[in-house]
Amino acid sequence: MRPLALAAIVVTATISPLTAQGSTAELLGQAHEFYERLEVERALPLLRQIVSPNWPFEVTQEQRVEAYKYLGACLTLAGKRDSAVLYFRAAIERDPFTELDPNLFTPAQLATFGEAQRRTFAVAVRPVEPARVDPRTARVTFTIVATHAALVDVKLSAVGAGQPRSLVQSTMDGVREITWDGLLADRRLAPPGRYALAVAGRSRLTGTSDSARVYFDLRHEVAPLEDTLPDLERRALLPERMSPEAARRDVAKGLGVAAAALLIAGAANGDLGGGERGGADVVAATAAVTGIVAFLVHRHHGAIPENVAANARRHAERDSANASVRGRNADRIAATVLLVSPAAGEGTGP
Amino acid sequence: MRAAAVIAGAGILGGAAPAGAQRALTVAPLVSLVEHRVDAGFGVERSLGPILGGVGTLRFGPRLAVAVRAFGGSLFGSTGVLDRDVGELGVEASVVTLPWLVLQAGAARRAYSTKLGRQTWTLVSLGGTARMAFAGDAIHSVWRAALLPAVSASGLRGPDMAFRAATGLEYRIRTTTLGVEYSLERYDFPAEAGVRRLEQLSALSLRLELRLR
Repeated sequence: MRPLALAAIVVTATISPLTAQGSTAELLGQAHEFYERLEVERALPLLRQIVSPNWPFEVTQEQRVEAYKYLGACLTLAGKRDSAVLYFRAAIERDPFTELDPNLFTPAQLATFGEAQRRTFAVAVRPVEPARVDPRTARVTFTIVATHAALVDVKLSAVGAGQPRSLVQSTMDGVREITWDGLLADRRLAPPGRYALAVAGRSRLTGTSDSARVYFDLRHEVAPLEDTLPDLERRALLPERMSPEAARRDVAKGLGVAAAALLIAGAANGDLGGGERGGADVVAATAAVTGIVAFLVHRHHGAIPENVAANARRHAERDSANASVRGRNADRIAATVLLVSPAAGEGTGP
Repeated sequence: MRAAAVIAGAGILGGAAPAGAQRALTVAPLVSLVEHRVDAGFGVERSLGPILGGVGTLRFGPRLAVAVRAFGGSLFGSTGVLDRDVGELGVEASVVTLPWLVLQAGAARRAYSTKLGRQTWTLVSLGGTARMAFAGDAIHSVWRAALLPAVSASGLRGPDMAFRAATGLEYRIRTTTLGVEYSLERYDFPAEAGVRRLEQLSALSLRLELRLR
């Protein structure tokens, strides 16, 4: 018996929100039917129940706004204009996007609603819809509203970073769509992160102010980028200067040739009294001088032009390759697609 | 034996020539101051003079080259020695075996002529040339050595020992190479009737090598 009771409680608790929603929606539906049949006196109590603090069931914001709107419409038909304006204002205050369809409501109702709009000042921005936008060809769209003529300033900013960018600063009245090209105040593509769209307005009729704010997340969809080539390591480059050892070896080579020439001229054919010793002396002297001059030149001006040129060529090839990579990456970045999604709060900026 | 050497040489040269290799032609005019010394048992006879000539080299790729050389000139005898003309035509194949070492095989025909007669020599040489670069690669030291295993001279028996040695420098500027070299050829002939003939040819040479294509 006890388990059954417990199960019943659990089931009741589970379905109660649905039932509550259903009750409000059901009552709102009944009121709507009465209104359509012009049975205003029967619709009014139902609508008043919904907006009453004593109504035991859950009422969503949309349902409450709908109830206020139909209360205003019914009271207008009943000739209670002041009360109608009051309820219309209640609807507008809760949802500045509230409006009456001219095809469904009478001119008197529309006029009363207009009066309510003039006496109530509010600005709002619709929650951002998820979107995939190529900033080269399309724009991110936001919808804002001012209940009557007002000077409106719309600013977009990264949460916690950077200067806001002003998207609109003008007088407006009613609903307006504004677009964003994906760029920030510095004219650079907005980096991924969380952004806020802030709307601030000052009524041209009453002088009162209002503001609204909506958050959204921005992500980038971009093709993978290529890495540039790393700096050339030391071992990838040829030595550009002679080492002191190499310069000293030049002396040894020159003296070696000199010694060999003298050896050939003397030791190899001593029994023939030498052989054109003068020629050997010339070569020996030339070789010795060459070795010493090479040593001196390389010690003071030890640059190796061939290696310098080869290294410059390698640097140029690397720079050219990196320029190509950067160009391709720039093309890919330029083709970045913005992914916009609504966000609940401030979160993390870019 | 000679046929085997020829076949082996052809194999080396053939294997070293890559198909379709780039050919390059160089010519090198040269001028030499040559001294010829001969001791045939009557003291050393010495003659000295300039000769002119040139070497044309055709390269078959990076490793193989064939060179033809020709030179000639007059050697003026010292006191009591006849003047003589000398001329030579030779061919030589070379293979690069190491970056700094070239092995060479060649043959040459040389003639000495005086107003009394003419003597021709046939020379076969096997040797190598080593080049070692000075820092910067524009200057090379050159070291040559060759044995002359087959030498025949008209009117003489072949020498017991014959060799050639040379050393010098090469200065390279773009496609031009200037070479200065001291060389010596030595021939020791077998003794006949108690007399041993010795002969040598030494030269100081200046060579300008031009790469044509």
